[in-house]
Amino acid sequence: MDGGGLIFGLMGGRQQAVTAGTIGDDEEHPHVENEMMIDEEQPVLEAQTSKAVEELKSTVQYQVTALRELRRLLSKSEFPPIEAALSAGAVPLLVQCLSFGSPDEQLLESAWCLTNIAAGKPEETKALLPALPLLIAHLGGLKKLSAEQCSWAIGNVAGEGEDLRNVLLSQGALPPLARMIFPDKGSTVRTAAWALSNLIKGPESKAAAQLVRVDGMVDAILRHLKKSDEEIATEIAWIVVYLSALSDIATSMLLKGGILQLLVERLATSNSLQLLIPVLRSLGNFVSVDPKAMLAILIGGKNTEDTDIPDQIPESVTGVLAKCLRSEHRVLKKEAAWVLSNIAAGSIEHKRMIHSTEAMSLLIGLLSTSPFDIRKEVAYVLGSLCVESAEGDTKPKIIQEQLVSIVSGGCLPGFINLVRSPDIEAARLGLQFIELVLRGMPNGEGSKIVEGEDGIDAMERFQFHENEELGVIANSLVDKYFGEDYGINE
Amino acid sequence: MAVDTVGELGFPYWNPLRRRFPPDSPFFASGNVERELLAKQVALDFTEDEITNLQTIVETESRRISCPIVGCPERLKSLDNFEDHYKTRHTASCSVCSRVYPTSRLLSIHISEAHDSFFQAKVARGYDMYECLVEGCGLKFKSYKARHRHLIDKHKFPTTFEFFKRTQLSKKRREKLQRQRVPKLKHEEDKEEASSDAMEVEDKASLDGLVSALSTLTTSDTTPSNVSFGRRHGRGLTFVPRSVHREKPTNSSSTPGSKT
Repeated sequence: MDGGGLIFGLMGGRQQAVTAGTIGDDEEHPHVENEMMIDEEQPVLEAQTSKAVEELKSTVQYQVTALRELRRLLSKSEFPPIEAALSAGAVPLLVQCLSFGSPDEQLLESAWCLTNIAAGKPEETKALLPALPLLIAHLGGLKKLSAEQCSWAIGNVAGEGEDLRNVLLSQGALPPLARMIFPDKGSTVRTAAWALSNLIKGPESKAAAQLVRVDGMVDAILRHLKKSDEEIATEIAWIVVYLSALSDIATSMLLKGGILQLLVERLATSNSLQLLIPVLRSLGNFVSVDPKAMLAILIGGKNTEDTDIPDQIPESVTGVLAKCLRSEHRVLKKEAAWVLSNIAAGSIEHKRMIHSTEAMSLLIGLLSTSPFDIRKEVAYVLGSLCVESAEGDTKPKIIQEQLVSIVSGGCLPGFINLVRSPDIEAARLGLQFIELVLRGMPNGEGSKIVEGEDGIDAMERFQFHENEELGVIANSLVDKYFGEDYGINE
Repeated sequence: MAVDTVGELGFPYWNPLRRRFPPDSPFFASGNVERELLAKQVALDFTEDEITNLQTIVETESRRISCPIVGCPERLKSLDNFEDHYKTRHTASCSVCSRVYPTSRLLSIHISEAHDSFFQAKVARGYDMYECLVEGCGLKFKSYKARHRHLIDKHKFPTTFEFFKRTQLSKKRREKLQRQRVPKLKHEEDKEEASSDAMEVEDKASLDGLVSALSTLTTSDTTPSNVSFGRRHGRGLTFVPRSVHREKPTNSSSTPGSKT
C-alpha cells in the first residue's frame, strides 16, 4: 500500500465515522453531544491513530510516511489521542524507530510522537520508560532538530515526578542535556534548558550538584542570563532557582561569577512576569543562604579585602525590590518582601540601607492594604529593621531610631491587625512587635501608643485562647505593661 | 523565625533571622502555579504557514504590498508578512482546529465551547453556559440545543444553521482554504485538484450561512486570541530537513519513497 493509498484509506474512514452518528438530532443524549463538542474529531482521531500504528507495523519500507501520519494525529491539539496510540502498541514501534543509524527524519518523527505521548497523564508518561535510553543517546546527535525533539520528550518525562527523574539521572541524561545549552541561541537551547530545569528540580539535591560540575556550565548560565532573550533567560533562571536552593557549591560558584549583578539587571529591565518570578526567587535564595551574597549587596565596598566577591552591587538591589513591591503581581510583592526581610535580618548597615530608600513607604503602605500573605512578609521586614540580631541567649537590642521612625510611619495598626488574625505565626509576629514598641519607645510612650490603637483589646483576646503559648505571651505583656500601676502618674 | 530568645518573662523576643525555603515549599506555591502548567508540553504541528515561511521569499527593500482589504491601510514588506497580517487582522481563526469565524467574539465562544474542559465541567453541573450568538441579547442556555432553539425561535436564524459544524473537512483542508482566502498574490503553491471543489463549496456555504444569519453584526477587523497550551516549534526555524518542507497534504499525487 502506498502513501497515497494510506491517506485515502484514512479519509474514507473518517467520512464513515462522521455520517454514522447524526449529531444534533438526538434529544435524549445531550452528554454524547457534549462529549463530541469537546473535540468533535476525538473518536475519529482515535480510530485513525490506531490505524496509523497498524500501518507502522506493516509498512516496513515506508516507515517515515506512516510515522509522519501518526505524528500529525498526535499533534493536532493539546489533547492528543494518547490512549489510543498506547493501546495499539505504539511505544515499542517508536522505540524501534529510534535505533542507531536511523535517518534523521525518522528520529525526529518518532521522538515527536513520544514527546506528545509523554505530555499526558502520569501513566502515559511512564509508558516512555523503554524509550529513554535511546532518547538520551540521541541527545548527543549532530542533527539539531531531532536532538531537540529528544530533549523535549525527556523534559516531559522529567516533569512527571521524582521517580522518573531518578531513572533519567541513572541513565545518564544529565551531561548530554546540559551540553545542549552551550550554544548562544536557538530554540534547542531553550527547549534543553527547560528540560534541564525539570530534571534538577529535586527535591533531592544530587542532580543540581551534578549539573554544576559539568565543565563550562556555570559560564553558560551566566552568559545566557546576561545576554540571551527573555525566553531563554526564563528557563535559565529556573535552573538557577534550583541550583541556588539545592547546591551550596553551585551557589558559591555562581556568586563568584557575579550572578547577583545579572539578576539585578534583569529585575530592573524586564517586565515579563514569567522571567521576573524565577529571577527574584533566585535572588532570594542567594540572600537567604549565603552570607557572601549579603556582603555583596552592601553599598560602599567595605569588603575590598575579600577577593572572592566581585564588585559590590550598588543599592539598586533595593531599587529593583521596590519595583517588585510596586508591581501589581501578588507573587512579586510577596517574594520581594521576603527577600527584603532576609536583608533586614543582616547587619545594621543592611537595615539602614533599606530604611533609607523608597521601599519604606511602599512597605508601610502594603502593611495596611495588601492581601494577608504579603502583609505577613512585610511584617517580617519592618520588625527586623528595628532589632539587632542577637547571639546566644541575650535579649536582642532594639534600634530605637528605626523603631520610632517606623511607628511614626503608622505601622502599628497593621501589626495589631495581625494579632487578631487566625494565623498563629502572624499573631505571634504581631505580639512580638507590640513588645518591641512597649519596650523600646522612648519615655515609656509605648504603652500609650499601644493602648491608643486598641492593642490591649487585641491582646486580651488571647486570655482564653486555645493556643496556650500565645495566651501566655499575650498575658505576660499585659501584665507587665498594663498592670496595676498603669495609668498612675509618677 | 523571630523566635527563640526567651528572656525573663519567658517571652520570645523578636530576633531577626534569615528564612530559607526549599523549592517545593508551600511558601512558593503561588509563584509556581504557572510553571507547574508547563511541567509537560505538547509539541503542536507545523502550520501550513510556518512551512511556507520556511521557504524564504527574497524580499526587496522597496517593494511593499498594500493590503487589498478595503479600508485597511497596511503596507507589508513581503508575502510572509502579508500572510501574517491577513491572518491576524482579517480572519478570526481557531488555533486549535483552524475553524474560521467572522468575529473574534464568535471565535472565543467557539473556543470555550469546543476546546475548554472547564466549560464542559460547568455545563455538566447545570450552569447556563451556552451564550446566545447575537451580541447584546445576553441570554445563556444549558445546552447547545437549547441555544440553537433560541436562535431559531427568537432571532429567526435559518433552521439549517449550525454554529458548530461537524465538517467533513480536515484541519489541513481548513488551513489550506484559509490560505486560499488570502487574495491571490502567491505564485508558487501546490493547489488542490478539482475533486475538492465540492467540499470547498460546502464549507463556503456554511460560512456564508453563518455570515448572513448574523448580518446584524458588524464584521470588524479582529485579532483572534491565541489559545494554546502546547508549544509550536519555533517560527523561523533555521534548520529544517528538506523532507519536512515537502509535507504538503495531497490526496492522490504523493509518491512515497520519493521524498528525501
